[in-house]
Amino acid sequence: MSFDVPDDCRYLESHEWVRLEDGAARIGVSDFAQDELGDVVFVELPAAGDELSRDEDFGVVESIKAVSDVYAPISGTVTAVNEALENEPELLNEDPYGEGWLVEVEPADEDELDELLSPEAYRDQIE
Amino acid sequence: MTDHSRAAGESRGTPYAPHTPEATAAMLSAVGADSEDELFDVPESVAFDGELGIEARSERAARRHVEGLLSRNDDLTEFLGRGHYDHYVPAVVDDLASRSEFLTSYTQYQPEIAQGFLQALFEYQSMLVELTGLDVANCSMYDAATALGEAATLSQRVRSVSGDRVLVPERLREGKRAVLENYADGPGVQVETYPTDDANADVEGLEAALDDDVAMVYAENPTVRGTIEERLGEIGDLADDYDALFCLGIDPVALALLEEPASVGADVVVGEADTLGVPAAYGTGHGLFVTREEYLRQVPGRLVGAAADDSGRRAYTLTLQTREQHIRRERATSNICTNQAWLALRTAIHAAWLGPDGLLDLAESCVTEARDLAERFDAVDGVRAPVHDRHHFREFVARTDRPAEAVRADLAEAGYAVHAVGEHEVQVCVTETAADDADGLVAAFEEVA
Repeated sequence: MSFDVPDDCRYLESHEWVRLEDGAARIGVSDFAQDELGDVVFVELPAAGDELSRDEDFGVVESIKAVSDVYAPISGTVTAVNEALENEPELLNEDPYGEGWLVEVEPADEDELDELLSPEAYRDQIE
Repeated sequence: MTDHSRAAGESRGTPYAPHTPEATAAMLSAVGADSEDELFDVPESVAFDGELGIEARSERAARRHVEGLLSRNDDLTEFLGRGHYDHYVPAVVDDLASRSEFLTSYTQYQPEIAQGFLQALFEYQSMLVELTGLDVANCSMYDAATALGEAATLSQRVRSVSGDRVLVPERLREGKRAVLENYADGPGVQVETYPTDDANADVEGLEAALDDDVAMVYAENPTVRGTIEERLGEIGDLADDYDALFCLGIDPVALALLEEPASVGADVVVGEADTLGVPAAYGTGHGLFVTREEYLRQVPGRLVGAAADDSGRRAYTLTLQTREQHIRRERATSNICTNQAWLALRTAIHAAWLGPDGLLDLAESCVTEARDLAERFDAVDGVRAPVHDRHHFREFVARTDRPAEAVRADLAEAGYAVHAVGEHEVQVCVTETAADDADGLVAAFEEVA
C-alpha cells in the first residue's frame, strides 16, 4: 500500500508534517500515521497563543486502539487551532493534509524547516 | 525476594502458582536467562534476606487464635459518625452480592463474559448521576478522601488560573486532609483553609481567601459536625466568579434530601458511597466521583459505558480507557486504574431496594432522629445541644460542663461510644440502626454528664 506524501510539506521521523503558506506554518500528521492509528476518536490540541518548541509534544491524538503524542516539527506561536476536529475527529483520517490539519503557528525560525525530512527522505522512511 | 538456599533451577512459588521446574526452565531458556536470579536481578542492597516470621497453624488452631483476638474487642453500642455511618443493610444485599457470579476474585470487566456485573456498575453510575444532577459518574474510587484528592488534581488540569491553591474548610477530617496533602504534594498543589462560622462555611471569609490563583473550592454537606450548609449556591457563584472548580462533598443518603449539587453550581461531587450497602466497619470506604460532561476525558478511574453489540443489542463495556494508566502510562489522568466494584454493586442493590421514596424516608429520619436526640441531650443539666444553631443530619455536637474526655470515657464504661471533639464537646451520631438504643444512651448520659 502506498501512502500520500505531498511534495509541498516537510516531515518529522515521528510522522508530523509542516507546510509553509504565506509565512504561516500549518502542522498535521501524515497519511501513514493516520492509517497506523486507525479511527481517530479524539484530538487534544493547545490553545491559540501557546508556544510550541521543536520536537516537544503539543497535543494528543486518540484512536480506538492507541493514544499518541504529537510533536512539533518547528518552534513558534500557535495562531490557529483546527476547531472542526472537536466534533469531527475523523477528518484526520479522511483528509490528513487538508481538512484534518491540527494547528497553525507563526514560526520562530523558518530555517528550522531545512532540518526536517524532505518528502523523498520521509517516503524512504515509511516504505 | 532472593532465596539463596534455593538450588539453581529450582522453582519459586507456591502450589497456587504451578510453575514446575521444567516449565520454569523452558521459560528461562526462551528469554535467554540462566536462572530466576539473573532474570529478576534484585540488587543485594534491597533484597530481603531473612525470615518472614509467618507461623504455620492448622485451620482449627488459626480460627481459635483469631476468635481469641476478636473477643478482646470492646462491645460498645456506637453513636460515632464523623465519616462512618451505619445504615441498616437489607438482607437482599448480602444475598445477591454473595452469588458466585458477583463474588469472585476475577476482575469482572471483560464485556464478553461480565455483562451482568458491568450493567450493575452502569446502574450504580446512573443512580449517582440522577442524585447529583451532574452528567458523569465513575464506578467508584477507594474512598471519599481519594476522590477529593483526585478532584484537586483534576482542578489543576482543567482550570487555567494563575496558581495552584485549593481551599478547604478549616474543619475537615484529619484523615481526609492528610490524603489530600499527599495528592497535592506531587503536582505542587497548595492546600489552604477558609474559616467556618458556627460549623458551616463562612462565605465572607471564603471570599476574602479567594483570588485568581485558586483552582478549587471544596465544601461539605453535611459538614463534619453534622450541620447542613445553607449557602452552597453562594459558594458555587463565588467559585465561578474566580474561575475555580467547585467541589462538593456529600453522600448518597444526604443527596436524597439536600440541595442537588448541580443546582448549586457544583463541578465535581465526591464522597463516601458506603453509607449504602456496606455496614460501618473500621477501614471500609467506597468513594464516589461525579462531574460535568465537559470533564469527561479528565475523569479518574473506571467508567462503564452502554454500547451495542454486533447484533445491535445493548451491551456494556469499560469506556474511555485511554485516560487510564494502563494505556497512557505517566500521562494518565490518575494513578488509579481500579475501583471498588463489589462495594459499588452493594451500594447499587441497596439504593435500588430503597427506591427514591425509601431513600428520601431514610434521609428524613437522619434529620428527625438527630433532632430528637439533641433535644433529649439538651434537657440534661449542664448540657447544651446542639451547640451549633443549625439544621443537622445524622449527628450533632453537645456541650458538656464536665470535660468531654471524661464524659466519653464514662459513656464507654457504660457501653456507649461517642466522640470527644473538643475540651467540652462531644459529638453524637444517630441513625436507624442505633435509634433503638437512644433511651439507654440518654440514661447513661444523664448519669455521667
